[in-house]
This record gives sequence, structure tokens and C-alpha cells, in this order.
Amino acid sequence: MFRKIYLIYGMLVLGTVGFSEYRGMSLDTMNQLKNVPRSVRDNPGSYRSVYSGYHHYTGGK
Amino acid sequence: VSSGTPPLQGAPKPHAKALNCPKCGAAITLRALGQAVSVVCESCHSILDAKDPQLQILQSFDKIISPDPPLIPLGTRGKIRGTDHEVIGFERRSIIVEDTRYYWHEYVLFNPYKGFRYLSEYQGHWNDVAVCKEQPIIDPRVSINLEANYLGESYKHFQTADASTDFVLGEFPWEVRVGEQARVTDYVHPPRVLSKETMSNEVTWSIGEYMPGRDVWNAFHLPGNAPEAVGVYENQPSPFSTNITTVWMAFAAFATALFVLMIGFEIGAKKEPVFHATYQLNRGEPKGEASFVTDTFELGGRTSDVEVTTSAGVQNDWIYVNYALINQDTGEAWDFGREVSFYSGYDSDGAWSEGSRNDSVVVPSVPAGHYYLRIEPEADPRHSTIAYTVDVKRDVPVSAFYGLGFIALLLPAIVITWRSVSFERSRWSESDHPPSPIFNTESD
Repeated sequence: MFRKIYLIYGMLVLGTVGFSEYRGMSLDTMNQLKNVPRSVRDNPGSYRSVYSGYHHYTGGK
Repeated sequence: VSSGTPPLQGAPKPHAKALNCPKCGAAITLRALGQAVSVVCESCHSILDAKDPQLQILQSFDKIISPDPPLIPLGTRGKIRGTDHEVIGFERRSIIVEDTRYYWHEYVLFNPYKGFRYLSEYQGHWNDVAVCKEQPIIDPRVSINLEANYLGESYKHFQTADASTDFVLGEFPWEVRVGEQARVTDYVHPPRVLSKETMSNEVTWSIGEYMPGRDVWNAFHLPGNAPEAVGVYENQPSPFSTNITTVWMAFAAFATALFVLMIGFEIGAKKEPVFHATYQLNRGEPKGEASFVTDTFELGGRTSDVEVTTSAGVQNDWIYVNYALINQDTGEAWDFGREVSFYSGYDSDGAWSEGSRNDSVVVPSVPAGHYYLRIEPEADPRHSTIAYTVDVKRDVPVSAFYGLGFIALLLPAIVITWRSVSFERSRWSESDHPPSPIFNTESD
């Protein structure tokens, strides 16, 4: 019983990995937006990135 | 004559006879007339000679011994391995191990054509037991009888103990006595157990096969449910051991397939450079005016990922870049921020460094089209200008998927192996050969 479950599970894992690679999925997180206005091309400052104002690490050891 | 239960299927009328106990006068039913050697009076528990028409008393008791009612009442009929049997005898036996007395029960089953067989029960674990058809072989090469061979199957020594009979009821094909002692040696090859009983100079070998309690209940049509089995029994088949080899073989096959998949995508991925540019961040410029857009570049082919790499020659410094990958045609955008920082120095431990001068991010599932990057760099305003390079590649393999896939395949195999090992350790912890502890808990 467990062997069958594992075989199905293993094929699902392989299928998921293959599908993820084929579709170009990623583990990195990012914000996806729709309908960014064309005016950004001429006025880049009008675009507000959700990542601006990030608190940067300034240390080192 | 015995009760109104129907006769055994296909068998002639059983030879049963009603007699009276010579001690207390209670009625005694002989169900295996002519084959039983001893019979126990259910009233006064005197053990009588079943071969003697006068039922001579073999053993009697001054005080009433405490009854231990059998889970399968005497006279119950059931089908074991396709053959009808009737429960005619019951005994409780025990061994003492490390000052603790362990009890188990044995049931004598009888069929007029097939003879006797037995059921044993210990804490909800059942065994179907029959006398061996031939003498098992003890391997003389293995020291202190650690292995026995029966019908070509090898059995490992489990336990040797002195068993005593504490309580008896019904009929027995031997001269049973309360208090009789026997040296019992068990060898196991789950789901079977090979038992050697030595009493005086008589040696009896029997072979048992593990039976789940529900099978016993079904065989004898007993009401309710069988008592829950407690712990792991000596010959209880492991629900995991048969799976381990095949699971690891399947794991090896899947891991190989995963590797082949990785090689395939590594070879098949275009890794096509579609954009490359170097910029300089002038920190004198006020924040908010540093953003700009790149030239348009084309992402071709099917929907796939895009890798954006930022490289900067920073030393004990950082640069942070807000990116937006924007589809010029549809207005769809992926917004993300990346930091490149590198620090190094010396301290009492020697040289150290942390961070990297390169950073890569993979933008997922980007359809074909014309794109540009909106870039907004940030850095520490106290420092001078900083140069950084942006590279964009289309269709790159993501190795993390294979790592996660490998772990996902490995985990169930480890879990099933661990459970199997735990099961076997539980089994052998009750034997004369307990496994050594995994973790040494002794303190200094």
C-alpha cells in the first residue's frame, strides 16, 4: 500500500518539478502588477516601487 | 451429550459424552472423546483422567483456584484455515522475566478428522499454532542455539524462559497439571514463531503464525471486537519491513529521474542573454530622481523565467536596486528589489567576509514580448559614485527545484525506514537480545 502511495507521490514530485521548470516558475518573491501606465516609459519617477524605502543592512561583522 | 450447537460441517457425529466429576459431582462434557488425555471440571477445577471411564482424579485443589474466563468460550466452533474446529480447552500460562510475571493464554482446538491445533493470545496478539510435522534443525555452527531451521526457513532465537501453567479448563491432549513447568524457547521469523517446549525429557516443537485479533473474532463469529493489541509481539509482521527495500529502490529510481530531468533542462534551457548594461550611481543626486528606464529588449519563445543579475564592485558597502520588469505591450510588470553588499576585514579570528558582489533573481513565468526595466538604485549617500552592471537572461534552469524535489522524495523514505527500525527495536527489546540504545543516556 505504502509502496503504491510512494510511487504516485514520487511521480507527482517529478511532475511538479518538471512542470515548474517548463513554465519557468521561481522561488523568488516579487510583486506582480497589471496595467502599468505607458507614461512610466517617459517619466520613470512616476512609478512607485513597493520595494523602495527598504531598510538596508549597513553592518558587516 | 453436548449442547445444541450444530455438528461440524462434513464430519460425522462428534464423539461427545456427558459424565460427572468424581469429586464434586458436576456434569462434565467430553468433546474429544477418545483423544483427550485430561479433562478439567469446570466446577471444582479438578483435573481428571479423560482416558479412564471413571474419570480418575489426577489433580485436585484444596481451595478454589481463581477462574480466568476464556475470551473464546469452550464449545465455540469456528473455521481456522478452512477447517472447522471446536474450542475444547483453555489454559493460562506465565513466565517471570526480571521479577515481572507475564501471562498468556492458550486455547485447544479440536477437529475429529484433523486433530488438535492451538490458539495462543498475549495482550491482544494471537497465534495459530500447530505441532511441527518434522523436527527443526538447530544450526550447530551458531553458538548457543541462536538459530533454528524449519522447512527451509531460518528462525532467530528470541527468548528462552521457564513457563508455568497457572490455570486450566476443558480438555487437553496431554496430562495437564496446574503448576507444571516447561522450558520454552521461541525462534521467530515473522509472521511465524517456532517454539520448543521441554518438559522433563520430552521435547515438543510447534509452529505458530500470527493472526490479527479481528481474524480470530471473524473465524469464531464472536460478538463485539477483539481486544486491542498492545505493543509489538515477537512474531508480529512489521507493516513496514516489506516496503523498505522497494521504497529505497523507488527512491533511487526517482532520484535518477530527477537528475536526468535536471540535466535535460540544463541542456535544453536557452540561457539567452537579452540585455546587458553598466550604470553609475552618483550619490550626489537627490533621491527620487535616480530612477530611469532601459532600452526595450525582446523576450522570445514560450512563457519561461527571466534571470536578472546585478553586479557591483562594492567593498564594505552596499547598493540596493528597485527593479520593475515591464511589458511594454500589455503593461504587466514584476516589481522587486535586490541588494548587493560585500563586507570584509580582519579580527582576532583572522580574515572574514560576508555578502557577495553579485546577486541574481529569477522572475517567474514571463510571457514573450517587448520589455524594459525601470531601475531605481539606492546607496549610502556618504560614499562616492558606484558602478553596477545589470544582465538579463531568458530561460534559465532553477536548481532549487531539484533540491526541493530530492528532499521531498527522500523524506518519506527516511520516515518509513525510521518507523520500520523503531518497530523492530520494539520487537527485540522484549527478547533475550535487546538492541543497544541509540542514544547513550548515561551521564558522567
